[in-house]
Amino acid sequence: MKTLKLYPLELGRLLRSRLTWLVMALTALSPAVGLVLYKPAVSTTMNSLYLANPAIAGGVVGSILFGLLAIFELDRACRSRVDILTDAVVSPLTTALTRLLALLTSAVLTAALTMLIWFPISAGWIGSVFDGVDYILAYLLLMGLALLLSILAAASAYQFTRRADLSVVLFVAFCALSLTVWAGNWQLCWLNPCVWALSDDFSNFRVFRSVGYMRLTWLAALSGVWTLSWLCVRQNGKGAFGSIARSARRVYRPAVALALLVCSGMAYAAQPFIDHSNPDLTVMSFYEIPYAEGVTFLSRSAQVFPDTETGTVTGRAAYRFQNTSGQEQSISFGIDPGYGVSNVQANGKDVPFTVSSYQEYNEALLEVTIPAEETVELTMEYSGFPQETLPTMQGGKELSGEYLCLENASFSPRLLNVLPGENGYPAHLEITLPDAMIAVPFGASQAEVVAEHENGTKTWHWEDNSASDILYAGDYVREDIEAGGMSIEFYYGRKHQAVMEEAKAVEAVKAVVNYCTRHYGKLSFGTGETLKLIQSRVAGGAYAAGGASLLDEADFTIANLGDTSKGAVPGETFIHELVHQWWGLGNMFDVTDSASPWSAEGLTVYTTYRIVKELYGEAYAKEHYIDQWQQAVDDYYLNFYVRHPAYLDMLPEAERLNISNSLSSVRQYSEMPLKILKAERLVGGEEAMDQILHDLFNRELDPMYPYLTYQEFLDACGLTEEELNLG
Amino acid sequence: MGKIFRYECRRLLLNKFFLGIMAALLFYGWQVLSGVTILGVSHTAPFSPWSFGDYLSRMLPLLWIGILFFLTFFTSPGARRTAVLTAATPVTSRAYALARCAAALTGGALLVLLCMGEAAVFYGRMFGWYNWGSLVLPSLVTLLPPLVFALGSGWQMGQRRHCLLYVWMAVPFLLIALPLPEALGLWNGSFFTVYPLTLGTLDPEFALSIPVTIAQLFLLVLGAFLLAQNSKSAEQPIEMHKLPVDK
Repeated sequence: MKTLKLYPLELGRLLRSRLTWLVMALTALSPAVGLVLYKPAVSTTMNSLYLANPAIAGGVVGSILFGLLAIFELDRACRSRVDILTDAVVSPLTTALTRLLALLTSAVLTAALTMLIWFPISAGWIGSVFDGVDYILAYLLLMGLALLLSILAAASAYQFTRRADLSVVLFVAFCALSLTVWAGNWQLCWLNPCVWALSDDFSNFRVFRSVGYMRLTWLAALSGVWTLSWLCVRQNGKGAFGSIARSARRVYRPAVALALLVCSGMAYAAQPFIDHSNPDLTVMSFYEIPYAEGVTFLSRSAQVFPDTETGTVTGRAAYRFQNTSGQEQSISFGIDPGYGVSNVQANGKDVPFTVSSYQEYNEALLEVTIPAEETVELTMEYSGFPQETLPTMQGGKELSGEYLCLENASFSPRLLNVLPGENGYPAHLEITLPDAMIAVPFGASQAEVVAEHENGTKTWHWEDNSASDILYAGDYVREDIEAGGMSIEFYYGRKHQAVMEEAKAVEAVKAVVNYCTRHYGKLSFGTGETLKLIQSRVAGGAYAAGGASLLDEADFTIANLGDTSKGAVPGETFIHELVHQWWGLGNMFDVTDSASPWSAEGLTVYTTYRIVKELYGEAYAKEHYIDQWQQAVDDYYLNFYVRHPAYLDMLPEAERLNISNSLSSVRQYSEMPLKILKAERLVGGEEAMDQILHDLFNRELDPMYPYLTYQEFLDACGLTEEELNLG
Repeated sequence: MGKIFRYECRRLLLNKFFLGIMAALLFYGWQVLSGVTILGVSHTAPFSPWSFGDYLSRMLPLLWIGILFFLTFFTSPGARRTAVLTAATPVTSRAYALARCAAALTGGALLVLLCMGEAAVFYGRMFGWYNWGSLVLPSLVTLLPPLVFALGSGWQMGQRRHCLLYVWMAVPFLLIALPLPEALGLWNGSFFTVYPLTLGTLDPEFALSIPVTIAQLFLLVLGAFLLAQNSKSAEQPIEMHKLPVDK
């Protein structure tokens, strides 16, 4: 009661202090630091640039400021030597609790103020893909909770030590740990959460859940630590231990502290987001499991029910095998490490199964023993929260009413050691999704709605022929495009519609596909007649296979479409990214030699130039491409570090990499296109070069090293490296 | 006189503010050196007079603010109130003003040396380069005129109205945003990135164009003139009715 009475007084006193207002004002302005100085989210989506980075930076700066304010305020009575008087009037425990509540309230007010100030700014910068829910969650989780944690940490440090200088050092060290040593550990970096990207076009609940989980774990831990430190608040002139002995007489106090610490420890240990896959990526032991003797595959089916509210998946899978061995056989599956398996039955009877604790490539090993019967129908149920492997690149397993991606073992248990039957791996697959979502199987299969339910969901069905499945689903816009003799289904997020229309995406797809098919040939991963182009949520890369290809959302952000190094206008950047379907995915390039300018970018930029030349004329293409390349290359050759590489070698590794990366970008995006242009002239013109590139694109691939090398390009042109030097 | 100078120096330099601005300068300077200067400007080395000049012109706004902050120590309402007492001492107002100017100049010089020292450490650590003599001329040309001008003009403004000093602090930031003519290119650093490219050689020696030389000389003379005016005006008796009165 005393605390409740004193709380408004203490809050009023705190809010009358000019220092408090200074800290609040600086904290409210601190998201600006994320625009220029501290940018932990490396993706180029608009939400990463103008929401995640400002919110995280605001959290870091604001937390440090509020931590220091907390120490300053807690030390005020002691510093002014009135603590003896105040302690005589009010219990020091009550004072400490009241001050904490007042500080936490001021932090909450500051977070609200910051959100109000930055709302119109963020909305303006992020543009048409701005989402109010993302904004609120980002500022609450990435910034707001950090302020509370820092107050708890700083107050604990002060209450333990009762010395302002020592508390500041401890608090700063705690912040520094998070910003440096713990920065790569998503559970430990309490101040600066591991957020590498926020999607513009789809939801970000997975990332927010992960950050929220980390924050709550720390909130429990620091609340526990604070409660312990609260027991140390000096009373009756006693020291820390004497005060603890007195405060702990009421047993519930240490019990609460202990319970909070135990909760936090359990939450830390039992986190559901990241698996424990073998970090050694050269180990692929699941692929070395011997095939089950005498067992062949007949068919399989799966019914998957994603819960878009909780981000979990429930499913039923059935597999039919022919077992001619006359013996029990062990069948192996890869399963998402976040899933639990139950109700495993063979021909209607329970059979033994185990799920390994060893995990590899985001899969745990499920082993089921099937009986010695000729035809076996194995059924199982699975459910859980799909886990990811890379803690610093979370978000890939997003599962919401706007987007989901279930790949391989996350969709249904992936068969590892059964040979295909006569018909391969026929599969009948179903998924039940909210009305607004479209199911897009990654491959040639077409999903169709087979049932509509009263609860606002639809069941989609499709057939496939493979041992595993990949499904994308989302609130997609579908554009059907006829180009290059192919029917192209182009799926992109509804939120991105305005940007795609501005970039004239459909026209760009047509132009690119027509041009590239005519000049280089059809995409090898297309079925020949159909191709799906699916925009994925920001994932840091893309892949293509079996009649489908991914376009990473990050390649089509408003900021990226304005990047003139890839094209003069937004539509041309779009062309550039699409050309990567031919040079980059259709033909792959080795990335091991970072010193070489040869990469997918050279041929892609050159092809973009050729398409633009065809569309807008020679003069336009020369001004916006050749002249720009030439300018960049001239600057490159004059660059101090290019002329004096010894100085580059002198630099520390981080600085050296920064500079060499920026230089290599010029080489890839400008020098190599110029070299290809020179090669074009030397081989006899555009037609001759087109023929060379056509032959290279359609060459027979070496499966052990399927990459297109610079030497192959030179050999095809009949030129040497020296002949292409730009003198 | 020497005693007053030492006292004023102690007032300016031995306080939290000076430590704070030193920390801010060092932090910002290191960011500039490791993020921008390290790349070199106009195809020159990071330790060329051009790159160093670019670094200094980026530091100029903070140095400008630092000097004006020093002046706030002398022009604040509190300082004005004590002027009644100092006016009663046998020291002339002119000598007193000169001592204060010298103290502010010393503070400014220390900040400049801090920036230059940081650059020297950076060059030594990153490139093992120690030929500091070649950097003296760009330092003088870039920093001396604007900082003397800041002192002179700041003193004039502070004498008239204390808050004008804070407004004056924003000037370099405004100049960075404005498209300045070539003659004022040293103020926003554009001179160091544009002029060497017009000289037609790689790694050109440091040189100034005539308009820039005239502009910097003008600024230096104007700054010195304003400072001289200050010491003259300091000889006039303080008008008591203009002093703020506590109510």
